[in-house]
Amino acid sequence: MSEQTGSNGASGHFAVSLGDFRTELAFEVDAGRILVLFGPSGAGKTTALRTIAGLVRPDAGRIDIAGRTVYEDGNGAGARPVWVEPHRRAVGYVTQQNHLFPHLTVSQNIAYGLRDRRGDSARRRVSELLERLRLDGLGDRRVWQLSGGQQQRAALARALAPRPDLLLLDEPFAALDMELRRELGSELRATVRQFDVPVILVTHSREEALALGDEVQIIDGGVTVASGPPLTALEQPGRGRVARLVGVENLLQMWVTARLPQDGTMVCAAAERQLETPLADGCAVGDPVTVGIRASDIILAAGPLPESSARNTWSGVVSSVTMRPPGYEVTLDCDGVPLRCHITGTSMEAMGIGPGLPLWAIFKASSCFLLSE
Amino acid sequence: MIPRFLLGNGRTDGGRHQASLGALAPAGVAATVVYVLFIGLPIVALLARAGQQEGFLAGLTGELVLQALRLTVLTSVVSMVVVVAVGTPFALLLARRRSTLLRVIDTFVELPIVLPPVVAGVAMLMAFGRNGLLGPALGGLGVTLPFTTAAVIFAQVFVAAPFYIRAARIGFAGVDPTYEEVSQTLGVSPWATFWRLTLPVAWPSLLTGLTLAWARAVSEFGATIMFAGNLTGRTQTMPLAIMTAMESSLGSALALAVLLLAMSALALAALSVLLRRTGSTA
Repeated sequence: MSEQTGSNGASGHFAVSLGDFRTELAFEVDAGRILVLFGPSGAGKTTALRTIAGLVRPDAGRIDIAGRTVYEDGNGAGARPVWVEPHRRAVGYVTQQNHLFPHLTVSQNIAYGLRDRRGDSARRRVSELLERLRLDGLGDRRVWQLSGGQQQRAALARALAPRPDLLLLDEPFAALDMELRRELGSELRATVRQFDVPVILVTHSREEALALGDEVQIIDGGVTVASGPPLTALEQPGRGRVARLVGVENLLQMWVTARLPQDGTMVCAAAERQLETPLADGCAVGDPVTVGIRASDIILAAGPLPESSARNTWSGVVSSVTMRPPGYEVTLDCDGVPLRCHITGTSMEAMGIGPGLPLWAIFKASSCFLLSE
Repeated sequence: MIPRFLLGNGRTDGGRHQASLGALAPAGVAATVVYVLFIGLPIVALLARAGQQEGFLAGLTGELVLQALRLTVLTSVVSMVVVVAVGTPFALLLARRRSTLLRVIDTFVELPIVLPPVVAGVAMLMAFGRNGLLGPALGGLGVTLPFTTAAVIFAQVFVAAPFYIRAARIGFAGVDPTYEEVSQTLGVSPWATFWRLTLPVAWPSLLTGLTLAWARAVSEFGATIMFAGNLTGRTQTMPLAIMTAMESSLGSALALAVLLLAMSALALAALSVLLRRTGSTA
């Protein structure tokens, strides 16, 4: 499980208990890449991060950072127990509240982890980081004089200054507004490449996981329930539990009624409705299936599109409209099957959408995916 | 008619809270005047009388006063060294660890603050006196505590330490342990983290506690006279010397009183200056 990654990466597997709650996790991340641990609060993500940093002691397992074993339970054959204390692990740790030291200036914060923090090399390192994280001219400020985004950048600069072998980010943008989050997110990606450091980022935001992750592990109840590239793991999750975690809006209980190998699709039905999904191996006609469709993959139209490549067109009546920033969620009642669709406020106004309006829902077969429980 | 300068111009809070005081404002002003006079009048009277009292200037440089001053400074400084050395790690433990035993101890830490000092003196005699609990053991070692300068320090530590420990515990509790964890991930050992992070952040609280503890040690009377006695040059600190001088030389008594007043006022002023300086950095 814990095959050594390249000497610049980090990997490991461990079990850790906090009271009654147990977290078991295996991870692997290469330098310059971001591994996202995604899951609801209380899933064990932060505990995992703190275990890797050495702030929590696991019960079993092994953790390697940059080719060095920092934890080893010593239970394996020939293995000796290893425990490296947090301050010897060379791990950068950025928290949601940034925890910039209140008694120091921004520059002093960034220099805090440097060996000779008053020397010339430290001064050069600090000004380099101030510049790279767009904090020029703010070095002498007190931390409370910075904006939220600047504070997070300063915390990142402080973590990067001693050239850590691994960067751990615990919901680093959660306290910021949406726009700033996007801006800092793309900055983070560039910074990680530049510094060529492996990163593990914890988040409960699907958008953040999609935007930032090279790899995603979906965590729930202390275990990894799914992993893979973000688009695969988050957009078309393979399991019902994962689908609910990542917030797939439409989960339909259906039966397979026909297989169309020539199109690479199959037909599923529920009540009066049927739709086409990608052909799945191991599904026979008559089998029950759960079909997932993301609300943002559905097009709403005032009438059926006369000629379209989309294989699925359902008619329905709007049963409710709720706000879902930045847009709206429209629930369409299709003969008793509710279908949730996301649209923008502009579209909603242009089409005059409100409860009782008959509409057509159009979606591609490839937007439908099968979930195995 | 309330003088304008007492109501203020609202500059400090932009006048936001003035309306909320409403009809209570005159009562508040009256109470303030009464209280300031109550505290201020005796102090003014003391200074005024000292200025005219025969023997005041001679008292200031007299042997009685100098000996008491020297002893008070010496014992209070040693007491504070002991209080800081023992009280700081103790307060840190109280602030960081949660155990039933520590919670019980925490409750009793402040007992000496509410205990009459005379009782503390008697209790210390029962513990360390010649016929006390540890008396024979100490005697065996050739150590006699009561009526020595060491006893003065014992008495001061006993009554003053809680002031420091309480403030330090609050100060340390105010430092979120996550700061210390972040410091460690930056390669700084727990020991260095204490010096570079925890201590500077908790500094204003420690300083306030230390000032209060020192003031309490300097003014200590009851426990000292019970446990250490009133021996000139050995156990007669300034408060004790005042009592002795009142019987013979009012000039010396006033000199001691004015000196103590000046020391207290200086400590308070120094504290506020130091706090303002760290306040701009914290």
